[in-house]
Amino acid sequence: MTAERLIGGYPASMRESIEKVAASRAKRLKAGPPAPLDAAGREEILQKFHPDYKGEKKRAVKVGPSAGELMPHEVADLLEAHPVVDPASIDLAHPDLSVKVLILGGGGAGSVAALFAREEGIPTDQILITTKLRHGDCNSIMAQGGIQAADRPQDSPAIHYLDVLGGGHYTNQPELVEGLVHDAPMIIDWHERLGVMYDKVDGSYLEAHGGGTSRMRMHSAKDYTGMEIMRVLRDEVRNLGIPVLEFSPAAELLLDERGHAAGAVLYNMETEEYVVVKADAVVMATGGFGRLHIQGFPTTNHYGATADGLVLAYRAGARLIDMDSVQYHPTGVAYPAAILGQLATEKLRNQGAVPVNADGEAFVYPLEPRDVEAAAIIRECYERGKGVTTPSGVRGVWLDTPMIEEIHGKGTIKKRLAAMWMMWNRHDIDITVDPALVFPTLHYQNGGIEIKADASTQIPGLFAGGECEGGVHGKNRLMGNSLLDYNVYGRRAGRSAAGWAKEHAAGELSLAHVTAYENGLKQAKIKTDRKAPLLLPDYRSEAVRARAVRIL
Amino acid sequence: MEDNKSVQLFIMGKAYQVPAGLTIMDAMEYAGYRFVRGAGCRSGFCGACATVYRKAGEYRLEFALACQEMVEDGMYLTQLPFTPAPRSEYALETLDPRENVLLQYYPEVARCVSCNTCTKSCPQDIEVMDYIQAALRGDVAKTAELSFDCIQCGLCTMRCPADIKHYHVAQLARRLYGRYQSPVPEHLTDRLEEIAAGTFDGEIEEMMAMSLDDLKRRYAKRTIEEGSE
Amino acid sequence: MKGIAYFPGCSLKDTAKDFETSARAVMEALGLPLVELERWNCCGTVYSLAADDLMHQLASMRDLIRTQEMGEPEVVAACAMCYNTLKRVSLRVNADVEARDKMNAFMNKETDYEGSIEVRHLLEILRDRIGWERVSERVTQPLDGLAVAPYYGCTLVRPREAGIDDPDAPTVMRDLIEALGATAVPFPFATECCGSYQVVDRRDLVIERSDRVVRSARRAHAQVIVTSCPLCQHNLEQAQQELGGETIPVLYFTQLVAAAFGVEAGELPAAITARPAAAGETGRGN
Repeated sequence: MTAERLIGGYPASMRESIEKVAASRAKRLKAGPPAPLDAAGREEILQKFHPDYKGEKKRAVKVGPSAGELMPHEVADLLEAHPVVDPASIDLAHPDLSVKVLILGGGGAGSVAALFAREEGIPTDQILITTKLRHGDCNSIMAQGGIQAADRPQDSPAIHYLDVLGGGHYTNQPELVEGLVHDAPMIIDWHERLGVMYDKVDGSYLEAHGGGTSRMRMHSAKDYTGMEIMRVLRDEVRNLGIPVLEFSPAAELLLDERGHAAGAVLYNMETEEYVVVKADAVVMATGGFGRLHIQGFPTTNHYGATADGLVLAYRAGARLIDMDSVQYHPTGVAYPAAILGQLATEKLRNQGAVPVNADGEAFVYPLEPRDVEAAAIIRECYERGKGVTTPSGVRGVWLDTPMIEEIHGKGTIKKRLAAMWMMWNRHDIDITVDPALVFPTLHYQNGGIEIKADASTQIPGLFAGGECEGGVHGKNRLMGNSLLDYNVYGRRAGRSAAGWAKEHAAGELSLAHVTAYENGLKQAKIKTDRKAPLLLPDYRSEAVRARAVRIL
Repeated sequence: MEDNKSVQLFIMGKAYQVPAGLTIMDAMEYAGYRFVRGAGCRSGFCGACATVYRKAGEYRLEFALACQEMVEDGMYLTQLPFTPAPRSEYALETLDPRENVLLQYYPEVARCVSCNTCTKSCPQDIEVMDYIQAALRGDVAKTAELSFDCIQCGLCTMRCPADIKHYHVAQLARRLYGRYQSPVPEHLTDRLEEIAAGTFDGEIEEMMAMSLDDLKRRYAKRTIEEGSE
Repeated sequence: MKGIAYFPGCSLKDTAKDFETSARAVMEALGLPLVELERWNCCGTVYSLAADDLMHQLASMRDLIRTQEMGEPEVVAACAMCYNTLKRVSLRVNADVEARDKMNAFMNKETDYEGSIEVRHLLEILRDRIGWERVSERVTQPLDGLAVAPYYGCTLVRPREAGIDDPDAPTVMRDLIEALGATAVPFPFATECCGSYQVVDRRDLVIERSDRVVRSARRAHAQVIVTSCPLCQHNLEQAQQELGGETIPVLYFTQLVAAAFGVEAGELPAAITARPAAAGETGRGN
């Protein structure tokens, strides 16, 4: 089979559909997009087409504090798994490091927590961030479109509150949403003082809509919003000299004899040594779970997003919430196959690009909440059969990006969506001229470790912020609220941890909870070779894995 | 599969046969590498997978991100997962933006000879030399603007004959711009005062206590602000 | 294009802003505005003048390419050091095809330099393009009675192939000063080196040399010294600050012209603004 000729980056066979999209553009621009669905319409499309509603893809987890609750198999598999370290082989009597505040995770939430722990008076050398990859290798750095904050006169935190609740199907924890919307403008202000470069026009923020928002309150930094914020936070952590241990994920949480969080056992991925860290307070900031590839979906997430924190906290006795709900971002890259599943920001849609099927017809309001939008695209491709099929067999719909240039003027994409332009341009596709092919991709962990408004968990001394905690977004997160979440709850976690550490000292270190958990697996008659936390996915080919042996 | 070809890839000098149509990162994993260093976001935003390579038959070095660049037959590559570039420490709130702060904290910028090697090694198509030149003249705004898409992969710094740490210079410039040359909109300050005064507390508390049906009704009645900004 | 392609150089954007402000205002007033190269880089100064080293000549050559891309045949610089550097590099790469080819090949993705850009100094343009008569005509506040010492330093007149005038007895600045109605005072140290970049590691040398220049100007009863180089300006001023004595302000020549034209001149010293003749005129300059 010879390779198909590529025209403007696309195989000739896809060009016919692209021409239909171009042909209908003027009419669609004039007519405007389809109207949004009402509550009943949303419910119906979700039930029928959203991957969350496939009962057979979930099961009730059999052990632990949230036993009986439904979770995707991929998550339940990790919770119903053995520890990676044998408690008997870890010497807890002589900790290698001893700090007041230990932060597990070097992404957005972890960095924010560290900065505020220090601001609350914890000395720099008594804070430790430990991270699986590098400081800044996280989902936070790849967020693109924006961060929500109700700072304009025509908007208010109350309106923001309502938007968040509706988007989350009213399952959100009210006090967590209250915290989110209340702290939002303060976070933006804090970022301003740190020197974050938010897009501004005529002295005011450039604020846009997101899926499900009723006011334009998405602050952006081109389509590099997550990267811009993360770079600045990381730079500040470095300026202050807060210690960061890289390539050293936590393999197990430590508790003390009272059941308080007391530190962690880290694993140095390069020297293969374990490191025992004693800490008076622990902040969990381990991020998401995209690399579990739930239901076989590709993902937008970074390499290390393997839900480690969930496993560790769960074993220590923390409940999880809303784990039955998974966010699939409606627009992951569907073509070319080489970058399948990578994120195509919602900002493309808030700047005017509308999803269009293979026949050039618009079929959904472009800014529905993400779960609804994703379901609509799945329906279009699978039930209605109006998706485009790529040579590699992937189905997708068009995102009519040239509309952005028509609406806002030539040059808008290269200016406001520079990352998106470059991503496709590397493959010779020019999204200012041709539409882009998209399909839902695994994106965000809506739920997570249960927290209170002060970011505390059930475990005394354990706090959590960012994607790893749950309750803020309910069953569906809105665009721009994850960057906000990690700032708000990273801050609260850092402050609460600092407050706790000032009053409490870790007692005798123990892994008894891990042994107890193992017994729990036995009692639940779970027979498995699985071990957790996963730490890293394994993408080596089958052929290699079949012959791989560990000799050294 | 798009086409049935496979290509030969040289990973640190060793030949592997991998399917065509993959990124360098996917191809290396196919060949059997399991990344510890050298993989981060896998989407082109973090700079972890900086890769240096030569194409078959060519003498020039090329630079790319392994997670974005497609393999080509005969590609001869290595990765640079870390750049030992020290950064200057500063307290942003104490810096005087009227002085050439960039030259103060990174004086080696004055050694730039305009060879443009940095620009050629940038996988983000940034005009690196131009922003260093702007930094040399103390033009913070220009440095910030031109360097914005920088993912701090370090390739420029590794290649620079003058040992400039471009991405650190740029980070300082952007923070200076963000804090000192991009004023905080008044409406944000106003909103902070309102929040401190508890202006919205009543309305939110009401919703926190509201029944599900009442919330749904209120949600359905929302007016959606017009416009896409 | 109306105007002349203009290369500012680093100093004029940072520590010598008055030089650019006044130069722009003067050329605007003379109907030949300075049109800044849209994109330019540091000329490289001393690095670029190492003879056997092509790499360091790239900096200046790129600016010649920028001028070529603009479609202009020549580029003017006001800073004498930048002028000198750009000029000497241009002389080499315009004549030496092999060197030029090597550099074009090295730069690779850059536009190829074709070898035909001429580099000018602003004084040359005033003298040869505009002419002293037209300069005089544009004067609205003649600087009668003002004693001005014309300081050339090195880079305007040396080496011969780059110089804009006779290296031993140049006259271009004198002619300019007289066209403005002021008096050019002859002073024997007009073409002596101020010490230049030696100020970085042999400051004592620089203070000594610059002091000799200043004292010479003092003996000639100069009220101001004019120069065309931010480094000369800096060194001559530093020497006076360090060694004291009667201060003679050191200006950029364009500031003198701007004062005489009554256009934007940057910060002017009292020697000009508080002249008896100036008292009755509409104040300009500050």
